[in-house]
Amino acid sequence: MDWLNLALNAVLRWYFLVFSRAPNLGLVVISVLTGVAMLLVLQRVSDPVRIRLAKRKVQAHLLELRMFQDEPRVIWGAQKALLGANLRYMALMLRPALWMTVPLFLLMIRLEAVYGRSPLPVGQETVVTMSMRTADSPPLALIPVEGITVETPPVRAVALRQVSWRIRPQAAVSGELAFNVGNATVKKRIESGYPQRLVPGLRTSSWWGTLWYPDEPRIGVKDVEWIDIDYPGASVTMLGMHAQWLIWFLAISMLSALALKKRFGVVL
Amino acid sequence: MRRTAVVVACLVVAACSGTNVHSAGRRMIVLGIDGMDPVFLETHWNSLPNLNKLRQTGSFQRLATTVPPQSPVAWSSVITGMDPGGHGIFDFVHRTAATRMPISSMAETMPPKRTLNIGPYALPLEGGSVRTSRAGTAFWRVLSDHGIRTEVIRMPANYPPEIGEWESVSGMGTPDMEGSSGTFTFFTDDPAEKRTTIDGGRINRVAVERGRTLLRIRGPQNSLRRDQAVTYAQLTAYVDPSEDAIRVDGSGRDILLKQGEWSDWVPLEFSLIPGIQKVYGMVRLYVQHVHPYLRIYVSPVNIDPTNPALPISSPISYSSALAKNLGRFYTQGIAEDTAAYRAGIFNQTEFLEQSHKVLNDSLRMYHQKLADFSDGLFFYYFSSVDQNAHMLWGKHDEELLEIYRAIDGAVGEAMAKAGSDTALLVLSDHGFARFDRAVHLNAWLRQEGFLTLDNPSNASDEELFTHVDWTKTQAYGLGLNGLYLNLEFREPGGVVTLPEKQIVLDDIAKKLLEFRDPATGQPVVSKVYFPETAFQGRNLQNAPDLFVGYRRGYRASWQTTLGAVPKTLVEDNTAAWIGDHCMASDEVPGVLLSNRKIRAGQPQLVDIPVTILSEFGVAKPQNMIGQTVF
Repeated sequence: MDWLNLALNAVLRWYFLVFSRAPNLGLVVISVLTGVAMLLVLQRVSDPVRIRLAKRKVQAHLLELRMFQDEPRVIWGAQKALLGANLRYMALMLRPALWMTVPLFLLMIRLEAVYGRSPLPVGQETVVTMSMRTADSPPLALIPVEGITVETPPVRAVALRQVSWRIRPQAAVSGELAFNVGNATVKKRIESGYPQRLVPGLRTSSWWGTLWYPDEPRIGVKDVEWIDIDYPGASVTMLGMHAQWLIWFLAISMLSALALKKRFGVVL
Repeated sequence: MRRTAVVVACLVVAACSGTNVHSAGRRMIVLGIDGMDPVFLETHWNSLPNLNKLRQTGSFQRLATTVPPQSPVAWSSVITGMDPGGHGIFDFVHRTAATRMPISSMAETMPPKRTLNIGPYALPLEGGSVRTSRAGTAFWRVLSDHGIRTEVIRMPANYPPEIGEWESVSGMGTPDMEGSSGTFTFFTDDPAEKRTTIDGGRINRVAVERGRTLLRIRGPQNSLRRDQAVTYAQLTAYVDPSEDAIRVDGSGRDILLKQGEWSDWVPLEFSLIPGIQKVYGMVRLYVQHVHPYLRIYVSPVNIDPTNPALPISSPISYSSALAKNLGRFYTQGIAEDTAAYRAGIFNQTEFLEQSHKVLNDSLRMYHQKLADFSDGLFFYYFSSVDQNAHMLWGKHDEELLEIYRAIDGAVGEAMAKAGSDTALLVLSDHGFARFDRAVHLNAWLRQEGFLTLDNPSNASDEELFTHVDWTKTQAYGLGLNGLYLNLEFREPGGVVTLPEKQIVLDDIAKKLLEFRDPATGQPVVSKVYFPETAFQGRNLQNAPDLFVGYRRGYRASWQTTLGAVPKTLVEDNTAAWIGDHCMASDEVPGVLLSNRKIRAGQPQLVDIPVTILSEFGVAKPQNMIGQTVF
């Protein structure tokens, strides 16, 4: 998992470096490319003949519903057949959907780091939390980093096995917070200030956890489960509308796929 | 491919779009400084350079206040240009004649009349409403009808705000989420704290187990339930075992607070129908102590301006637009928590810190709105002088002067913005005086034989006339200046007949003017006012039958305001609330400053809206009784 994350993160970081001055354009391009990728998958693994047949059946039963509105038995039968045709259509789309699930998941998890979280606003406080394996944790300290003020001592929530600090960025920072955990040191990336950029989420010690939180390597200190910084959410503004990046991503990739489906000979 | 390119191009171009609106015209700035006192200004001109400059280069006069000199009454006159007999607001509280029970004078909540009952829920089939009790037309409506742009921020007695073609945010009178004027909650496990309810707040005992405790915060009654059950929001506080700091979860974002620190606004959700309907509030937390005992103050639950549960602005969406630009802000009408100070929950330093937060919140909005102001009328109200003067007057001048200095800074900004082509008015609704002696008006009425108890031994601080024998009572006191007759055909079982009414009132008035403080021999009352002669307006159905104008230094006791009949007549005011203005009106005039020459010899509050209309060339409506001061 670590190698996969390393490779994918490297590719994505390079991509967003290219679009660092126009991140919205980066989102549009990657959404269009995703739409094209979906069409390529559909082209290879879907059965256009059977999909077309299922769609025609759906259309036929819809027509039947409109034409025989005064015939309850026909309407009932048409509704059942319509449901069946829809299920058939969905079953035919299942295979390409399954092919797309894993790459889309891996992509979306990474897009969240770029578009889903904002760097900490300069001057605005936030909380850093470290989850420990046991309630009796070793001595802890957060080492101050230039540009980040640590405003509280470590505050323990014993019942949760968590320790938190309140920090406040005084300047734009792209660096690492260092924590002393007993004799060991563990680090967590921190991003503050303009511009919008890749903001790593939670850093975990769990192998499976890195599937969901792939932005930083696994924590190697045995006492620590995870470290998280409470970043504000981000939204993407296009066409004068603010929306979460996922809305734009799905909308643009779907529209792209619909616009290009004939060129790829795909039936949707 | 061409279609795709067009879509992509549109998306890229649209990401950079924006709009601007420009307008131009005549301008006027009006600042309402509640409780700014002329004598305090005259004593401190050297410390208030902008106000002093305004006085020297423009005008400064005393501004006659209303009868009685109470903020909701006075500001209602500013809004409507009518005296209390016109707008119908006579006190903070009115009373229902049928029950003799106090009610809010400013607004009335009307539940929906038709509901659909499903299980425990009562789903409304029509909208409920909140209705202002103030009659008359607001001056900004008149301006708006003439196409003049107006922005009226935090005007008192403007809840619910009338919705129209203007921008306004409601001020004094805006309730918290409980519907009260402000009820804080204090959470503690300190065994020394025995109280559970106090005036303006409640004390909740908590148990800290494994460093964790729940803070259950009371919200509004659930209007969608048949039983109107109270809703609650819950926060979890984690207490560090050794450090003086806590972590608070449950509001969407974790909060860390050290002892002595205040949180920013903490949003809360109150569920009405689980998963379907909720309303939004917000609080500020203050960690007073962590060890050995936890003491956490939670502010009254303010209506969240980002998603208001009740109307607090015009247009309705205006509050959320403001909050989006400026962050959340106090929406509670009177946000300075004098109740926590009076109850001993806050010491003076803590109260001042809290009230400065309110002021800073207000100044933040003021800076932004003043900077944005381009044409028409800009009105902005500040509550801080009044609320701090109540707690500091006469004994803590330096601390009060700090507040005046902040307001002086705001006046300086307005002067700079106004320049020479924009009229600037700075006004207050009343001045201030010491509140040294508390007068138990109902005890005096009892002594003079106008009020009788069922048993003389029942004289006590018990409120709401619990032991009054109404068959033998001619008059009763309620509110800060009000005195009512127990009148036949109006009060149930009223004993004063209509022909006797004026005779009894004259008798009471005569005796009030002869009333001497038993401890000092000084007169207690300097004036009495009858509504029929004090007011031009005849909207008197809620008016007291007589207003008591106390001498400086005297005021109705807190017990009097809610209908208690204690044993003593007058006693020392030992509460933290040491300054007041609910006295005879000419004892506590307000101030009027302007960058223009004020020609009126004795300007009064009802002149203000007429002056504003006149500045824009708009004739005053017939029911406005004032004159322009210029």
